[in-house]
Amino acid sequence: MTDPYAPRITRREAALRLSAAAVAAAAVGGGAMVFHDRRTVSAAAVPVPDWRVPLPDSAPRAVAARGSDPAANVRRAVSALGGMESFVRRGEVVLIKPNIGWDRLPEQAANTDPHVVAELVRLCLAAGARKVIVTDISCNDPRRCFARSGIGAAAAAAGAEVVEAQRLRMVPAALPGLSAGLEVIEDVLRADRVINVPVVKHHSLSKVTLGMKNWFGVMGKGRNRLHQDIDRALAELGATFRPTLTVVDATRVLVANGPVGGSLADVRAVGALAAGVDPVLCDAWGAAQLGLAPGSLPFIAEAEKRGLGLADLALVRELGTA
Amino acid sequence: MSWTTRIRTVYQAFFLVVFLWLLGRLAVGDPRALPYSAFLHGDPLSAIGVTLAAGTIPGALIWALVLIALTLVFGRVFCGWICPLGTLQQLSSWLFSPRSQRESLQVNRYRRWYALKTYILAALLVAALAGTLQSGLLDPLSLTARALASGLWPLLPGGRPVPGGWLAALLLLVTLVASRWIPRVFCRGFCPLGALLGVFSRFAIFRIHRVSDACNNCKLCAFACQGADEPLGNHRVSECHVCLNCLPGCPENAMSYRALPALPAPPPKPDLSRRYLFGTLLGAFAVAPLLRATGGGRQAARSRLIRPPGALGESEFLQRCVKCSLCQQACPTGALQPAIAQAGVEGFWSPVLVPRRGWCEFACTRCGEVCPTQAISRLTAVRKTGYDGKPPVSIGTAFIDRGRCLPWAMSTPCIVCEEMCPTDPKAIWFEVADEPVRDGAARRLQRPRVDAAKCVGCGICENKCPVGEEAAIRVASVGESRDPLNRLLAGESPS
Repeated sequence: MTDPYAPRITRREAALRLSAAAVAAAAVGGGAMVFHDRRTVSAAAVPVPDWRVPLPDSAPRAVAARGSDPAANVRRAVSALGGMESFVRRGEVVLIKPNIGWDRLPEQAANTDPHVVAELVRLCLAAGARKVIVTDISCNDPRRCFARSGIGAAAAAAGAEVVEAQRLRMVPAALPGLSAGLEVIEDVLRADRVINVPVVKHHSLSKVTLGMKNWFGVMGKGRNRLHQDIDRALAELGATFRPTLTVVDATRVLVANGPVGGSLADVRAVGALAAGVDPVLCDAWGAAQLGLAPGSLPFIAEAEKRGLGLADLALVRELGTA
Repeated sequence: MSWTTRIRTVYQAFFLVVFLWLLGRLAVGDPRALPYSAFLHGDPLSAIGVTLAAGTIPGALIWALVLIALTLVFGRVFCGWICPLGTLQQLSSWLFSPRSQRESLQVNRYRRWYALKTYILAALLVAALAGTLQSGLLDPLSLTARALASGLWPLLPGGRPVPGGWLAALLLLVTLVASRWIPRVFCRGFCPLGALLGVFSRFAIFRIHRVSDACNNCKLCAFACQGADEPLGNHRVSECHVCLNCLPGCPENAMSYRALPALPAPPPKPDLSRRYLFGTLLGAFAVAPLLRATGGGRQAARSRLIRPPGALGESEFLQRCVKCSLCQQACPTGALQPAIAQAGVEGFWSPVLVPRRGWCEFACTRCGEVCPTQAISRLTAVRKTGYDGKPPVSIGTAFIDRGRCLPWAMSTPCIVCEEMCPTDPKAIWFEVADEPVRDGAARRLQRPRVDAAKCVGCGICENKCPVGEEAAIRVASVGESRDPLNRLLAGESPS
């Protein structure tokens, strides 16, 4: 083309090369604009949504049902609260968070009773939920916990999507007042409604482990540092995670060696269950099942002081034995 | 492709897929009792090695007799049709080495150094007889399982890291890369199991036969010969993998594979020099005492040498462990890791429990269920946990580091170790004490204490301890049920 020793450039060639350079510059610049991150902290913490539904003031804050059939207790308590339809709308994704923390059998009372979980799944699906997810981050090997607690099979048979810890996606969540860097199950943060289903158990630090303590199970690594200021941490969890419904399982309660248990001598068959929209009241009722006065528990007092609920047992509507 | 090759390829693919599938099911914790250790149960090298070292044939290893019988009838069909390492090498040499016909004839000729595998076999068996079982290091089944469990699975989604796993993976990788230049280089030169099967295949009923009248010495039979066993001349039957590539290779149809009752001439023996063999055996005899005296391990209990639950005493354990990594692959929490230096040279790649990586799940008995040689004995959950009324199986004892523990050293509440403790009653209990606080009133705290008589050493306390890097509660092997001398308390009797 041109003689390299006497380079001459035509107008046409200059225009072509200039436009090629402009296109390249635009591509590089545009790409940089797309990928440029202006934030100083790169990982954006996801805020925890509020899953509560507004209810009329006349509605009970919590109801308790007694009887030997845990599934029937669930049905009676939920229907006394106005039925699952008043909490779950058609097409919503509901996440149920039982306690599936331990490699123990249902009789050992370390995990939520599988019948309770399965019945809640059925009620949510009957109310029109698009999907019901059952999950927890176990302390023992999750495969063994989901299998031996009976919850994995029972929830799946009832139609839930059971997500074991190995398949969970974790995202950094905004947890003001708690340890920085904690991650939360993504499914929890994305769910439209969340039902918290703890089991009543003895605990050596907070004396009893219930609904607010059950939120430990949605968090990943680092959660064990929260024990260092447990009462404040539990109230903080209660203020951060606002469930649609709390269902406290006292089918069997663990009175000693909690929260793992093991010995059947530590298990009492209570045959009761409470459901409610007031997580503090539900926890107060649960503590009473272990014979503990709610007023004696600092985490309940702390939560009440922060206006998360009322710990007055007179507010629980007792349905009695079926 | 001829029909014999086609059938053989189907067999090879089938056994490779089954081998990988079983390892995969083990890794995901399939609750079914699948025959995870079936390949290793049929391994005569492990069976004979364990028999020489421990003086007993543990349970299912008796299946090795089936493979010996198969070899006595059909020759080394295991090598050519079943062995996953053989198949992988064949695959790699097929993928990476497009050769000319001339080159193929060259690389598939017998070399004198292929006798090395027989020296290796002799050394391993003599060392076993002297009390140290090292056959698993080069056994093709152990080698492959180990490389995949430690080197490949950690790379898969959900896989857990295995420090040192690259060592096991490297051996496999070198073998596969080297088969680009010498097909089946491991089988031909190094495999002690192949050498062992070669001893039996000398007496095989079915073997390659050449009708010498029809043969015109064109050497095409050696063109794709996997074993480099010279089907042309005096066939080296102990080297033959029965790949049957020589049959369709012969343009004169002079080759056949059939029952040969009478032998025209004894087949060639491996090229062993009597002097070298003597030296090898002498050296191998010295290895066992040498490893024991200067290699570390076995003599004294080691604090961080925490063996899986049900593991035999250290001597008996090392006489049986073939370092196959199945227990490691089966462990649901990833607690079992290969020992690089913790167990001495003798115990290289034997399983050791590392509590910061995982813990021994209280009612889990998987490692013993998959151990092919019962170096880890089978336990029931009821026996292991002590729910049968006898003392539970202990693998060690937890010790609190009072300089790191939050309630002991930092005046900060924490109960995580006690919370996690699975025994009944909990081995960790609290003493309530008022701890001084800087610039303030004393704080009432629960300080954890370990009841050594109740602790089973499962390590969940160490694993979950919120104190980063080195935990404030750590498990040591003392108190382990398997060693009546590695004890702490005078009153306790091992279960």
